[in-house]
Amino acid sequence: MTNNDKQERLDWVDWPDKSRELAQLMARCGLGDRAAFARLYERTSGHLFAVVLRIQRDRAQAEDLLQEIYVSVWKAAAGFDTARSQPLTWLTHIARNRAIDSLRRAQTQPRTESLSRADDDDRPDPTQALASDDPGPLDLLSRAGDKRELTQCLERLTPPQRQSVALAFFDGLSHAEVAEHLREPLGTVKSWVRRALSTLKSCLDRASLRDSERAA
Amino acid sequence: MDYGKPSLADALAAQYVAGTLRGRARSRFETLLPSHPALQAAVRQWQARLLPLTGALPEQAPPARVWRRIEQALWPTPAPQPWWQRLSLWRAVSGSALAAVVGLAVLVASPPPAQPPVLVVLESTGAAVVGAGSIVASFSGDGRALVTRTLLPVSLSSDRVLELWSVPPAGNPRSLGLISANGATVLKRDRLPATLLKGGTAALAVSVEPPGGSPTGVPTGPVVFAGKLQL
Repeated sequence: MTNNDKQERLDWVDWPDKSRELAQLMARCGLGDRAAFARLYERTSGHLFAVVLRIQRDRAQAEDLLQEIYVSVWKAAAGFDTARSQPLTWLTHIARNRAIDSLRRAQTQPRTESLSRADDDDRPDPTQALASDDPGPLDLLSRAGDKRELTQCLERLTPPQRQSVALAFFDGLSHAEVAEHLREPLGTVKSWVRRALSTLKSCLDRASLRDSERAA
Repeated sequence: MDYGKPSLADALAAQYVAGTLRGRARSRFETLLPSHPALQAAVRQWQARLLPLTGALPEQAPPARVWRRIEQALWPTPAPQPWWQRLSLWRAVSGSALAAVVGLAVLVASPPPAQPPVLVVLESTGAAVVGAGSIVASFSGDGRALVTRTLLPVSLSSDRVLELWSVPPAGNPRSLGLISANGATVLKRDRLPATLLKGGTAALAVSVEPPGGSPTGVPTGPVVFAGKLQL
C-alpha cells in the first residue's frame, strides 16, 4: 500500500480482527436485534458494495444485489456458525456469489446493447470500463499482498498466472472471458488459473502452518 | 463425477470460490454442496485463503436508499415511533386547532392585556378509549398559570386518569400534571416550567395513565388529545 492511498479498505492482515468484532453483531442479528443489523450494515456495506460493483458494473443492478444480499444475511443470521467461518468471509462469499449469479442471469436475458457493439466482447473490457482512479485487478492483487507471506506467495506466480487469476477473482471474468481479454487460447488460460490457485494454496497453507507453529 | 475424491473436491472448490466455475457446473456444485461435507470443508478452506484478498478493494459507500429498501423489504410496516415524534399527528391537528386558537384568542384578548393569554385546543386523536371531544388549555400570558377545560365530558374508566404533557421541540415530553376528565382543572403554578411559553413547548398532549400519573416520567398510555402551540 502506498502512503498516499487514503481510501478506506480492509487490510488483509486486519481481516481476522475485523471479523471477530462482527461475530458479536452477527450473533445479535441471529436473535432478531435490528439495531445490531443496522450496525452490521454500517460496518460492512462499503466492502460488500465494492465487491459487488467490481463484478456487476451496472450500479442499479449492484444496488439491487446489495439489497438482496443483506435481506438474506438477516434471514440466515440465526444459522450462522462463528466457529466454522469468519463473518466477513461469509458475507463476502454471499456477495460474490450473488454478483456472479447476476452475470449468469444477464447472459440468458435478451441482449439490449446497440447493434454497433454486436461484435464486441460479451462484456466491456474491464480495464477500460474502470474509472481512471479505480485500481486494476493486478494492482489489487499486489495491494492485497502488502502482507509479507502473501507477497511471497504471489511472487511465485508467473505474470500471466497472476493476471488471469486477478481478472477472474476480482472482476468475475469467466475462463472464456479471461482468454478473450488476454487473447490467449482457452486451454492455456484454464491451466494458468489452475496452477495459480494450486501454488497459492500450498504457499499460503505453509505460511499459516508456520504462523501457528510460531504461536504455539 | 465422483465428488468424494479429495483432489477433485479441492479443485472444484477452488474454482467455485475463485469464481471461475460457471453456468451449469456452478449450479450443480451448489446443489451438491449441502450433502457433501468434504466439499463444504474444501470450500471453507478456499474461502479462508482467497476471500481476504478482496480487502484490497477500496470501500464503496452504497447510497442511503439501499438501506431504506432493505428495511422496507424486511419490515414492511415502519417501527412504531413514540407518538410525540410522529409529525403527521401534529399536522392533522394543527389545522383546526389553529383556527380555534385564533378565534378564541381574539375573544379573550379584548380588552388587550399586556400579555394576552395563550389558548391551545387539544383535539381528539381518535383513540377509541375516550371518544370524541376536545380540551382547551389556557395559559396566562406570562406562562405561569394554566387552566384546562373539557369541552365535552371525557368518558374514562374509573381506574384511569388524564395527564397533560408539554412536548418540547426535541426530546421527551414533560408532565404538567393530572387534569380532570370532566370540567376545569387549574394546574399548580410550581409545576409549570419557566420556559413553558419561551420555546420549551411545541405542543400539548393528554395521555391516559394509571392513577397517580405515568410511573415512568414519559407517557405510557395512549395519547387521546393533542394540540400544537401557536404563539
